[in-house]
Amino acid sequence: MKHEDYTEMLALAALDALDEGEQRTLDAHLAECADCRAELNALRDAAASLVYAAAPVAPVAPEFRTRILARIKSQAQDAPLASVASSNGAATLPTSSNVRSLDEFAARREARTGTVSRRVAMFGALAASIAVAALLISLALVWQRNNRLQRELARLANTVNQTEQQLAQTRQELANTRADRELLAAPEALTATLAGTKMAERARARLTFDERTGRAMLVAADLPPAPAGFAYQLWFIAEGRPPMPGKVFTTDQTGHAEMHDTVPPEGRHAAVYAVTLEPASGMSAPTGEMYLKSSAS
Amino acid sequence: MAEAAPQTSPDSELLHAIARGDESALAALYDRYHSILLGLLLRILHSRVEAEDVLQEVFLQIWQRAANFDEARGRGFTWMVTLARSRAIDRLRSLQSRQRADDTALRDAPEPVGDASDDAYHAEQREIVRAALEEIPEEQRRALLLAYFEGLTQSEIAARLGQPLGTVKTRMRSGMTKLRDLLGEKMRLG
Repeated sequence: MKHEDYTEMLALAALDALDEGEQRTLDAHLAECADCRAELNALRDAAASLVYAAAPVAPVAPEFRTRILARIKSQAQDAPLASVASSNGAATLPTSSNVRSLDEFAARREARTGTVSRRVAMFGALAASIAVAALLISLALVWQRNNRLQRELARLANTVNQTEQQLAQTRQELANTRADRELLAAPEALTATLAGTKMAERARARLTFDERTGRAMLVAADLPPAPAGFAYQLWFIAEGRPPMPGKVFTTDQTGHAEMHDTVPPEGRHAAVYAVTLEPASGMSAPTGEMYLKSSAS
Repeated sequence: MAEAAPQTSPDSELLHAIARGDESALAALYDRYHSILLGLLLRILHSRVEAEDVLQEVFLQIWQRAANFDEARGRGFTWMVTLARSRAIDRLRSLQSRQRADDTALRDAPEPVGDASDDAYHAEQREIVRAALEEIPEEQRRALLLAYFEGLTQSEIAARLGQPLGTVKTRMRSGMTKLRDLLGEKMRLG
């Protein structure tokens, strides 16, 4: 065979597309011809670029990377072939490429031209690889299914949780409404009317409370919206004592507010009730302008 | 030629580091190429499950065999891609024989192309290869892609296309030579 006959095979060899007879012939030539080895490497570089002819793919799950990196930690690395090569004498080693060593070609040829015993062995290996592949596929499917079920379970648990919260909230609202109605309807309920000061002349409010328990409800209307960081605070002012702090509250957009509080025993008789504008967290003594005030009872 | 004056590209540096047992180098190689390699495996295997499984196998083999990589014999990129393609074609053959043995063999539906996770570098390479392939006559291109993505030999391609073997050989030779010439300058370092 002429050198040109071999060079014609190189392009097909770069694609691993030679039939086995030709491949064997070329392998023998490559062992001796550095030019052809170099040419084959260049053609393999070009063939490898065909990887970019495959369509782009959807991204891989990040867990995949974690799993691979975890697995390599437990894997031993091969000893480099290079040391084997140099001990054998690298110059005579017929290496056509990095990946397809002659051993691999030989293995492939053997597989193609197998004897009966090889076929039996191959059948065993085939059955084993089928079993392994089937197992891997089943595992992957189970894993996918498990993931899907877990996501669904998490979603349902979340829904249940939200529903429970809504139910608790509704129950609380119902209890409050019932308590409010009882309070407003109770014959022993006391009521104080608060009028707007110069700060909010249209504002008005009514404080209703149970004389025995102090349980109270304040309903206010036409209060200007509190600036950011501020809120209204209720005060119980009894004669001869500093004003006792009540709770803070804000209004809705229309200036309406409802607030529940407990009037301290000292504030249930002969007291003045007032509302001032205070920092949103509330104060222990009034510092801001007064917006609502009851007349002394 | 690569044999005379090997270029040290970042890919081969990564492979040398992997050969020294540097796990972060493998992670870097994974980050750079897993999506490109998965595209190749998916094109060969037509199954996302199989392709992801082989992808994992490929990175394990890169880890185990990086010491065998010799940059005097070619690019790191070529070494890695060739390894991936070999593993995928081996898997394809075992799936095909399983399919012959059992007609009910499982095969996933074709994977729809989702959000492509290409970075700018890969997008550029993809464009270079696309442009090069466009310059190669259709019948040559077809034979090349059959060999590369289906792992067919020249005789199998001739049978598939219903063409004389001599014609197929000539087409593949012309196509490969042209591809190498078109890509030669642009992808030398890739």
